[in-house]
Amino acid sequence: MQRDPMHRDWPDILGGLALAAIGAAAAGWALAQYDIGTLRRMGPGFFPAILGGLLTVLGLVVALPALRRRSDAPGIEPLAALAVLAAILVFGLGLFRIGLVAATAAAVLVASLPAPRPGWGWRLALAAAIALLTVVVFGLGLRMSLPLWPRLP
Amino acid sequence: MTTWEGLLYGIGFALQPAVLIYCVLGVVLGTFVGVLPGIGAMAAISLLLPITYYITPEAALIMLAGVYYGAQYGGSVASILMRLPGTPQSAVTSLDGYPLARQGRAGVALFTAMASSFAGSMIGIAVLVTLAGWLSHAATAFGAADYAAMMILGLVAASTIGSSSPAKGFAMVVLGLLLGCVGTDVNSGVQRFTFGRTELLDGINLVALAMGLFGVAEVIANVRDPDRQGVTERIGGRQLLPRRDDLKRLPGPMLRGSALGSFFGALPGTGSTLSSFLAYALERRVSRTPERFGEGAIEGVSAPESANNAAAISAFVPTLTLGIPGDPIMALMLGALVIHGVQPGPLMLEARPEMFWGLVASFGIGNLLLLVLNLPLIGIWVAMLRIPFRWLYPAILIFLCLGVYSVRGLSFDILAVAAIGLAGYLLALARFSPALLLLGFVLGPLIETNLRRALLIGRGDPMVFLDRPIAAGFVLATVGLLALSLVQVWRRRRAR
Repeated sequence: MQRDPMHRDWPDILGGLALAAIGAAAAGWALAQYDIGTLRRMGPGFFPAILGGLLTVLGLVVALPALRRRSDAPGIEPLAALAVLAAILVFGLGLFRIGLVAATAAAVLVASLPAPRPGWGWRLALAAAIALLTVVVFGLGLRMSLPLWPRLP
Repeated sequence: MTTWEGLLYGIGFALQPAVLIYCVLGVVLGTFVGVLPGIGAMAAISLLLPITYYITPEAALIMLAGVYYGAQYGGSVASILMRLPGTPQSAVTSLDGYPLARQGRAGVALFTAMASSFAGSMIGIAVLVTLAGWLSHAATAFGAADYAAMMILGLVAASTIGSSSPAKGFAMVVLGLLLGCVGTDVNSGVQRFTFGRTELLDGINLVALAMGLFGVAEVIANVRDPDRQGVTERIGGRQLLPRRDDLKRLPGPMLRGSALGSFFGALPGTGSTLSSFLAYALERRVSRTPERFGEGAIEGVSAPESANNAAAISAFVPTLTLGIPGDPIMALMLGALVIHGVQPGPLMLEARPEMFWGLVASFGIGNLLLLVLNLPLIGIWVAMLRIPFRWLYPAILIFLCLGVYSVRGLSFDILAVAAIGLAGYLLALARFSPALLLLGFVLGPLIETNLRRALLIGRGDPMVFLDRPIAAGFVLATVGLLALSLVQVWRRRRAR
């Protein structure tokens, strides 16, 4: 039996426990807030409560056996995820504050941070190119009503 | 309408300029996306979902289907030339396709892939037409209990068959079902899990969910990809023509692959990835020279390509006739139809013939287009293979954000994509299948409605699922599958 805590099957343990927690929370919320009804006339809470319970059980079924098992650490880059998600947030929050052009350029710069090539030249050029493309396609072509530039005070 | 009348009607419908253009758009975009490693058919269909809001449901379905089988053509190009399958279905093709390319026979491998895909899709169409007519006739006898039992069987099949961990698969399906509950409950009007956000009244946006789980997750997984290298010599003209001994080897694998593909494609939960693996394994077993496989056997390219294209088409059988998607891609297609207020089911063949026969005809037209267009365009696809991913993915992200925004005009949806993308990343990290989550999400409301209706009709007696022979059959099959997967898990544990 492996006792080294670093080599436990953490993905299954944490994933299973998280799902069990979500399931329990959903079932609890459904039971507390919505009418359960009867089997003949199910209320809005019936189906989610059953599903929540089922998810709790399944989460534990995934997590508990994994406590006694080892596994390799998963190899997906956290930096890539961080940059990509941050780029979407920058775009979503910036669109109506700084306008389409600036939001696009900023999001592209953030997204390109983890790309496997150093240097700022190509990143700036890419940001400019995609901003132009976006304005042409979505602003002029599809005529989506979006502010192109920051609103002047 | 007889089959021939239907086909003629469908061809007439699909050749209308307003429909044909979406077929062409679908197959070209699909090939484009399939060629680019790192974006699969799933992500491509998610990215294009917003466009379908602006066109008729028939055109939308034809376009999305075109993206699906177009992506398989494109995926085979990438896997033959670069051993970088753009889609999981074409991963098998690279086993023999890439060695062929290394031997300077890339053209022949590409020709084989395309001809086999075409053969597979033609056989898939024949199977679709035959089975759909028969099945929608049978399904008119289905009641609510039968539907509920069948959908549950579909979900159980999807999460157990070919899965290394059925418990993780089930957990994803159930999480999907639970997410499907978010929004206004149809029966009572109660708002469930909306936490006061008006944006959630109609439930979680399918486009945002699909884009977050597939588009964003696939971008994240490929961001650090180094620039690609592979066989990129000029290909065209006579190099594409196979030798006579190549041609003699082709009919067998094509027929066997197509038969296998159309069978497994029509079953719920199996889909085209499994069928291309099985077709390859079968070819190797029946071959008199199995040692050639892996070294550049042309049969090893032909069989999986026929199989995955046949499966891609026969997968529409349960989706269109029963309204039950067999795999996550079909779930997205169904979602796109539901957005338009079209609910596929046994009555659709009669009630919306243009939808069914138009789609069938578009399969033929689209595949013919792919065959005719792709042979001369192969040079362009090869050139595109060299575009570094680092130029593409920031643009993909921006288009994704604007696409999801365009659906409802809410910037809330862009932020939702980021949140769902984070969830998708964590799921990938813990090796849970987001595809099963989506399947559960799309089927959730349908299951709940049918379950409630069945129990209302049955006066609250759960025996209603065993009294009806059809429902009882599905329940029995579900229990059988569950028992089988428990036995498998138990055996694996004992073997350790």
